[in-house]
Amino acid sequence: MGPFVYIVPSALKTKKLNTSLAGIPDYTIRDEKGERVEGVILDTFDNILLKRRLLLFGLEGGLVVLDLKEGCFVEQEIEGAWRFSSDLPAGPVAELLADVSPLRAFLTVAKVKIRQTKGVLLDDEGKTRARYTNLTVNHADSSISFGVVTSMRGYQRAFEDLIDIMGQAGAIALDNGSEIYRLLAIKRYNYTNKPELHLDADAVASETAARIISAFMLVARANESGVIGDYDTEFLHDYRVSFRKVRSVLSLFKGVYDGEITRQLKSEFSAIMQGTNRLRDLDVYLMEKDHYFTMVPEPSLAGLTLLFAYLANERKKELKKVKKILQSKAYERQVDSLNKLFMDSANLSLGPKGKLPSKLLASKLVLKRYSQVCRIAGTINRSTRDEVVHELRISCKKLRYLMEFFTPLYDQDGVRQIIKTLKVLQDNLGRFNDYSVQQTFLRQILDHELGSFKGDEMQLTEAIGALTAMLYSMQKKERTQVVKNFIHFNSEETRLLFKELFQKKGEA
Amino acid sequence: MKIIACYSNKGGVGKTATSVNLAYASAMSGKRTLLCDLDPQGASGFYFRIKPSRKLKDRAFFKDVERFVDAIRASDYDNLDLVPANLTFKDFDIFLSRMKNSRSRLKKALKAVGGDYDVIILDCPPNISLLSENVFKTADRVVVPVIPTTLSLRTLDQLYAFFDENGYQKKKLLPFFSMVQLSKKLHKESMLTLRKKYKNLLKSYVPFSTEIERMGVHRAPVTTYANKNSMGNVYAKMWKDIEAKAGIL
Repeated sequence: MGPFVYIVPSALKTKKLNTSLAGIPDYTIRDEKGERVEGVILDTFDNILLKRRLLLFGLEGGLVVLDLKEGCFVEQEIEGAWRFSSDLPAGPVAELLADVSPLRAFLTVAKVKIRQTKGVLLDDEGKTRARYTNLTVNHADSSISFGVVTSMRGYQRAFEDLIDIMGQAGAIALDNGSEIYRLLAIKRYNYTNKPELHLDADAVASETAARIISAFMLVARANESGVIGDYDTEFLHDYRVSFRKVRSVLSLFKGVYDGEITRQLKSEFSAIMQGTNRLRDLDVYLMEKDHYFTMVPEPSLAGLTLLFAYLANERKKELKKVKKILQSKAYERQVDSLNKLFMDSANLSLGPKGKLPSKLLASKLVLKRYSQVCRIAGTINRSTRDEVVHELRISCKKLRYLMEFFTPLYDQDGVRQIIKTLKVLQDNLGRFNDYSVQQTFLRQILDHELGSFKGDEMQLTEAIGALTAMLYSMQKKERTQVVKNFIHFNSEETRLLFKELFQKKGEA
Repeated sequence: MKIIACYSNKGGVGKTATSVNLAYASAMSGKRTLLCDLDPQGASGFYFRIKPSRKLKDRAFFKDVERFVDAIRASDYDNLDLVPANLTFKDFDIFLSRMKNSRSRLKKALKAVGGDYDVIILDCPPNISLLSENVFKTADRVVVPVIPTTLSLRTLDQLYAFFDENGYQKKKLLPFFSMVQLSKKLHKESMLTLRKKYKNLLKSYVPFSTEIERMGVHRAPVTTYANKNSMGNVYAKMWKDIEAKAGIL
């Protein structure tokens, strides 16, 4: 039988456990109480650990994880500060967190006081027959205990007896970390960058558009404090993607709102995003730093070091600017009023398609975009201009957004299947674009910012030259993959799936 | 899975202490270890505070895989489990003699749990019998405690002769000096003589120690309570020697 994970809505007292033992005279419970220490509960902004049923405690000099799925505690000593899973030195906790995105920082969920107790159930000869590890955690005015009872081979009865005894002391089975948060009165924002959209197939398009926009504005705004706090680069990334989706809804739903209003709103959202463009570009560069250092030949390394020192410094300046914008009254007012605008679609004057039923419009838009993707992809061969590949990328992105927005209106498994195959092509096109953007970025430094490298111009120029050559060849490589990936995406199966999902029955 | 027997055809040479402490050393080195007590007196179990098995009686040890598996008990230490003995184990020879393939029965029984363990250590009763022949056939190595005295030399000679006569591989035998008192001239001399004669003798030896005697009081492997500088590391070192000889990775 697997381990038993329990929770007691108060502090677990050994004395109480031993009192419950009265009926079983051969047993004693003995424990070793640890010190009561200060600690923190840690998780990423998107609660990745809570979702995986893990609870991470940071203590002075060590980490403790309660793995609710496996029913065990995992511990590791660490020295010094860490923020990302990739910062952790090798060890059992590092192993457990290894596949948490290295881009997401671990942040303090709550400050707590923790006491760890290890206890055993002994028989009349002093033999251990079952064990438990208990954590008593205090937060604000609440105090709870939780832990794991483990069985030992050949002593199943004793294990069950210990569970009974724990039960008499108030222990109940625990399978979810949220219960611990609830009992400790820890409030946790349930962040996701993929909000669940509740859409109605027959609702008018203007209402559905407003609903989608509101949902993504909420996601964007949830990231503001993380951008300002500069905890990790994902906050800005999610912030931008969400606003981009908002703007996409406006352009994809052309004709749903009044033309002039749509144009105004689009430019307003574009302006909001533009303020963060350079910071994101710098983030992407700095993230790839280690990679770049392996890409260029040895003589260019000194120049590359200069370049990255410059970029890191630029990022600092750029972050300051972005913070200032996000903390400004003007921004607050602007976003607030945009938010209010979409709360109720009656606030907006409609265009000719505003009253169309949502699903009808959605199907039309998806099919139209799909045929556009196919048309562009069909023209791509070795000699096609890069601009056309970019056009394909943008078209694919729009198709993806459309399908994601409207997933709830269709057979979700089918839509997800299409998105999955589309993603391979999109990743390919995304890399193609990244390499291109990065070359442009480097060229701009050479053209406009060389003055910041007085005396080191030669070194820098050489490094940028080497890097650009590498990026160019990588971009070429991605380019050769596009046709192959499109053929893979546009299989007979996908085509049928598109038809089945988005074409009205009886329509050829 | 490797099977290491701890055997001596002479009693009182520190056989059970060796089994218990080597099993502990094996477990501490990270090997999943099962100590199987074949001695009806059940002393191994006593040292681990594990009560005699009640259900593993008579022929069940060799015939009933389920009961054999059920009889396994976790010790208080990581990686270390034990099959406790009981008094019916004294009749093993009678059961074995009535069974077909009476010399490979033990191997069959241990095979059932082999996948759970890297090392199985057998604590054997001190006689030459059908059971011990099962042990000689099954074990990858047979560790033999020898007190460096004239009498012990004789019993070791007898054991080698028995292996010779019955076609068991002599290279399986790994004798080592037990309860050594270097202050005794006889011990020193016997050790010299034996080392010349038996090249397979383990380099490490176990000195006579009151700390080992106190295992009965502590009811725990000596390493868990003894001073590291005296007895604490003796068995860990010896276990390393055995691992090397037996090819335990």
